[in-house]
Amino acid sequence: MLRALLGKSALFVFLLVVLLGQALAQDWIRTGTNRGAPVRLAVPDFKAATTEPQTAPLNTTFNQTLWNDLDNSGIFEMVAKSFYPLQNPGSPNEVKLDAWGNPPPNASMLAFGNLGVTNGKLAVQGWLFDAKNTASPQVLGKQYQEAATNDNARLIAHRFADEIIFRLGGGIPGIAESRIFYISSRNGHKEVWVMDYDGAGQQQLTHLNSIALSPRISPDNSRVAFSGLSNDSWQILMYSMDLGRLVSFQRFPGGNYSPAWSSDGTKLAFSSSMRSGDPEIFTVDATGANPKRLTSFKGSDVSPVWNPKTNGQIAWVSGRNGLPQIFLMDADGSNVQQITSEGYAVSPSWSPNGLLLTFAWRRHYGPGAPGGQDIYIMNIATHEFVQLTHDAGVNDFPSWSPDGRHIVFQSTRTGSEQIWTMLADGTHQQQLTRDGKNSMPNWSVK
Amino acid sequence: MLQTGIFEERDKWGREIMLSAGLHTLLAIVAIIMGIFGGPHGENWGGSTSGEAVQANLVSAVPLPAPQQPTQNIVATENKGLTQSVPQQAEEQPDAVPIPDKQVKKRPDRTPITQNIKPPQPVTPPKDNVVPYGEGGPISGPYGTFTTTHTKGGFNFQGAGDFGSRFAWYVQTVNRKVSDNWYTVEVNPSAQGHRVYLIFDILKDGSPANVQIEQSSGIPALDQSAVNALKRIDTFGPLPPGYSGNKVSVEFWFDYQK
Repeated sequence: MLRALLGKSALFVFLLVVLLGQALAQDWIRTGTNRGAPVRLAVPDFKAATTEPQTAPLNTTFNQTLWNDLDNSGIFEMVAKSFYPLQNPGSPNEVKLDAWGNPPPNASMLAFGNLGVTNGKLAVQGWLFDAKNTASPQVLGKQYQEAATNDNARLIAHRFADEIIFRLGGGIPGIAESRIFYISSRNGHKEVWVMDYDGAGQQQLTHLNSIALSPRISPDNSRVAFSGLSNDSWQILMYSMDLGRLVSFQRFPGGNYSPAWSSDGTKLAFSSSMRSGDPEIFTVDATGANPKRLTSFKGSDVSPVWNPKTNGQIAWVSGRNGLPQIFLMDADGSNVQQITSEGYAVSPSWSPNGLLLTFAWRRHYGPGAPGGQDIYIMNIATHEFVQLTHDAGVNDFPSWSPDGRHIVFQSTRTGSEQIWTMLADGTHQQQLTRDGKNSMPNWSVK
Repeated sequence: MLQTGIFEERDKWGREIMLSAGLHTLLAIVAIIMGIFGGPHGENWGGSTSGEAVQANLVSAVPLPAPQQPTQNIVATENKGLTQSVPQQAEEQPDAVPIPDKQVKKRPDRTPITQNIKPPQPVTPPKDNVVPYGEGGPISGPYGTFTTTHTKGGFNFQGAGDFGSRFAWYVQTVNRKVSDNWYTVEVNPSAQGHRVYLIFDILKDGSPANVQIEQSSGIPALDQSAVNALKRIDTFGPLPPGYSGNKVSVEFWFDYQK
């Protein structure tokens, strides 16, 4: 009978957990490939638990943030709110699962809860229920309490969204609490700014009143390294997130640009003309000590990035053959290989799993050449590549999100340089910044 | 002359054969009777139902051996739970009234002999990193598992086998993750309609382990693509917090359809 069923249910998730006597006194899952649709997730607005005047606006913020986080994750198909039953559940005993699990909502998962302000404290209870599993529906139950501010409402929504994504995404680290560092000139000078991953909470960090470029946040989120024009020379500068000010860092002769942290935070790679007057790739300790030169070819070598999985390889941009191309070498400078061999390729960023590079590429360079500068990803091992943006301004400076599923980049498609995000397959493109000119985004590692 | 000799020999065998046939018949009858009224029936051999008799609850009654050595890495768990074994208490013999008949056949007490044979044991002072007996919580760590001839797993199996119904969402997650990481471009289109079965474990932290091909599809590229899919996965996400076991075994099949 089992075999007959198997035969009939080809390509259908068939699950059977059998207790086969002593041979199987542990749990078994029997299942098969299913290239099905993403999870249908219903997220009714959280219920107001108290009547305090603060509750309603915070609840609105919370609901919007939670919805956007889950929608942005790219692993859910969000069930439109117009399909929902009229009553929003606020706690498990108010849930009528069959109303959610069957059409019209036909959700397979349901996230719901309540939010209330009492005595200046914001308390949120949230649940995630499996709408198709009436016997034991609860997947997740969480409770949060913070001071009642708008930022905290967003923070709690981010955390709850991350929990849901972590559970249902199979261990995908949530990015809802991650941040994006970038350069903005909206106040007259190019300075380092930071914002939440969804574009909220934009705030200025540095006040150099000269020029700051290519900010890179350290893996522990404590320091931002960037290149800045300081006393008429380009130096690697260091901004402490803990202290909220610039901290000193080793100064080198010549011009020093495009710092990059190794994923363990112990080393920096950057481009410097300290020895030859020609920009070459150097590595130094996180303190700035022990500079080590890795490249020595004529032509600029800039924009190094470490392989975050191993810290054993560095990708960078070299102009040794004329137009800039992406190259790869071991972290000691050996084993150099060229990754791109045509056009104009710049701004590499390495995916967190170490398998892919994303970079900006103008595949046909020159006056009248077809195509624009677009974001590509390339498999390091096979050199297969995929174009992610098409026919939409000049795109540059892609940077991977910590979950390896999103890319933030800069685009001129609206007429000025602005920061955008997308899923790593090129879908779900969203504009994050609108004021002034914003460029060179860098996604925090966590 | 020769013929007569042979004839006589045959005549001699006749009786033996009869006797032998009789005995065999008797044996066969006994075997049939035993088959009907006696031992286990065919479909129950190792089958799905008779296993009840030797299933986990019987095994879980086996007392776990007390740890021989005090655990070294006690600091690794914040739980002050791993302890030395319970100090042995002198067993008190109940004051039983001896039965007069049996007392004559009383076995000689062997304990003094064994005590004499054993050399005096050196007294080892307790290690400083050991939590004294009685100050710990419930035991945790490796003693939560045991191994018998057929079983390996945690000992808390109330309702073993309900993982799929309790945590259907986890199973779906596993399914999605494997399917997403299975690159069918690695497979030659001629493999269409074939299926490979893999088995693997998911450990408590969600990482896959012990990936094996249970039943090959007969097409090496398909088998390899399935194994590659598992290699690409670092984690499925930790096992559900409500689940008490230490791992889940998964049988996963890959159907290649164009």
